[in-house]
Amino acid sequence: MKFFHSIRWRMQLWHGLLLALVLAGFGSTAWELQRENQTGRVDRELEQRMGIIEGAIGPENIPPPGQLRLPPREQNLFEGMPGQAFYYAVWLRDGRQRAASAPAGVPRPERVPGPPVFRSRGNFRECFHDTPAGNCVLVGRDIGEELAGLRRAAWLLAGSGGAVFLLGLAGGWWIAARALRPVAEITATAAKISDGDLAQRIRPADSESELGQLARDLNNTFARLQAAFARQAQFTADASHELRTPVAVVLAQTQSSLARERPAAEYRESLAACGRAAQRMRGLIESLLVLARFDSDETPGALESCDLARIAAESVALLKPLADEKNVGISVEVTPAHCRGNAGQLAQAAGNIVANAIGYNRPGGSVRVTVHREAGSAVLTVADTGQGIAPGDLPHIFERFYRVEKSRSDGRGNSGLGLAIAKAIVEKHGGAIDVASEPGAGTTFRVRFAAAQRISLRGLDNP
Amino acid sequence: MRILLVEDEADLLVSLGKALREEGYAVDTAADGEEGLYKAREVAYDAVVLDVMLPRMDGWEVLGRLRESKRTPVLMLTARDAARDRVRGLDTGADDYLVKPFDLEELFARLRAIIRRAAGQTRNVIEIGGAVVDTAARKVTLSGNPVALTAREYCLLEFLALHRGETVTRTALYEHLFDEGDDSLSNLLDVHVSNLRKKLGHGLIETRRGHGYCIG
Repeated sequence: MKFFHSIRWRMQLWHGLLLALVLAGFGSTAWELQRENQTGRVDRELEQRMGIIEGAIGPENIPPPGQLRLPPREQNLFEGMPGQAFYYAVWLRDGRQRAASAPAGVPRPERVPGPPVFRSRGNFRECFHDTPAGNCVLVGRDIGEELAGLRRAAWLLAGSGGAVFLLGLAGGWWIAARALRPVAEITATAAKISDGDLAQRIRPADSESELGQLARDLNNTFARLQAAFARQAQFTADASHELRTPVAVVLAQTQSSLARERPAAEYRESLAACGRAAQRMRGLIESLLVLARFDSDETPGALESCDLARIAAESVALLKPLADEKNVGISVEVTPAHCRGNAGQLAQAAGNIVANAIGYNRPGGSVRVTVHREAGSAVLTVADTGQGIAPGDLPHIFERFYRVEKSRSDGRGNSGLGLAIAKAIVEKHGGAIDVASEPGAGTTFRVRFAAAQRISLRGLDNP
Repeated sequence: MRILLVEDEADLLVSLGKALREEGYAVDTAADGEEGLYKAREVAYDAVVLDVMLPRMDGWEVLGRLRESKRTPVLMLTARDAARDRVRGLDTGADDYLVKPFDLEELFARLRAIIRRAAGQTRNVIEIGGAVVDTAARKVTLSGNPVALTAREYCLLEFLALHRGETVTRTALYEHLFDEGDDSLSNLLDVHVSNLRKKLGHGLIETRRGHGYCIG
């Protein structure tokens, strides 16, 4: 059933059980104490009177039949309040009852040698003693009123116990509700979030409590989730945005070409433009795939010992034609510097940075690529003599699709992702990339990886 | 009709320019924001097609600074289609907004609409006496019969019809019918006007001597 699974109901059940046990224990103990107390008092009174009677009959005296003659002060002891009167009875050794103030029908107790013995008989409490002479003396009293008092006490205890029990249940219910209220709030917020409202947060009522801690942790999780979703949405928006322009080119070209008959040269021109747009889209899609792979995979893949110098030199060689086309000089100055990494990815990062330095250079400018070891690091530096980057743009240049010029098209399929990819690769390798720029003078990128020992035991490189 | 096209994507600039010229517009082009703003301020264009992402000066700034002095209708082209961007475009003073990629037909229709609205016309079809100018189909009929006009003749007629009741100076006509690459002589205007009169009747276009032409 549902409510046996509810924490609140289960808490209430256990709470009720415990409370009932405690109350029952307390109540019965209190009642038992009261009863013992009363019985003890009555017994002491009986013992006292037992002494008087025994004194009156004497050790060897055989008491006369009928009432004992007691001194008046002692006689008084046997005439209490009505209903509380004490009585006595004396039996001889042979079993005959000799003296009695008792109502008729008090049975002769069994012979029990030794000290006086107490017994309860219905509403009566009696004490009897077999004297050494063989007589049996019994003193008794009606304790009906005490018994009635005890019954009243029992009812009172049960009643107040019940009241306390109900009060306790209500209090427990309230405390459980209070304790569980933050849980309800967390549940409600989580439900809203799962319905898609990612901006919802739990209001931590008491940030020091266990639930406050939970709320904080959940809020952090929600914030990270929201940021991830926002990044994803931004990325998708940017990606579709980047694809729109080449698609616009293709649409404009095809629609305008197909509007009427044209000479073959115009068709060729149009197809060439479509081809360029398609190339750009391909470049963009490839970059997007690379980034998507990086986003989904935390590790750089198979690691090997790579020489950053060789990787940089190869990247430069690959990009030489681009530099020539742009009339940009490119120089390489490398000393071997090994690091652990995925050679293909490192080459891509280096290539992207160098291509960026060429692309944003001025005609007749130069790019200087150096690799060296420095304090346990392998460092790649790419310095250009380009237009530089304004301080306002500098913090953003590694963002996806960020371009300093608010436009695309350097005709080389520059997607605005090159530096973002380079940064993703470097960070995945545990390296760091930073940039310094002086507008008008040029920009310098520095990439730093932890150097690896070139030769080491068992082929394992030190990190 | 003379249009300024500001777009930094070379292939798009070329193909849109060609398509617009084939539609009968005189088209000037600019490949960055600064050049676009300069031309838009200098010349009385009938409309400006303005890309948002431009080098040197982005489309928003071009639009904002153009609006300081000119009311030329502006159609913004952008690759962003967030509502925020559309609102910003329209609030900055753009007359219309088109998201890339777009169909050429839609671009043409929106251009016609903003030019028409700027001239105070609300319908595609302008009736002048017996002549009917359909600016959407770029067709002219006289008493229900189609009249064959050259592209220039049509543009001249359309411009005068859109500014019906106003006297349009020869300079204005020249500015609106020929683009920067066109070095036609201004007396060509007289040739086009006389051809139009032959095809549509002599009463249609009046000559205001010393001022220009007018359609009443």
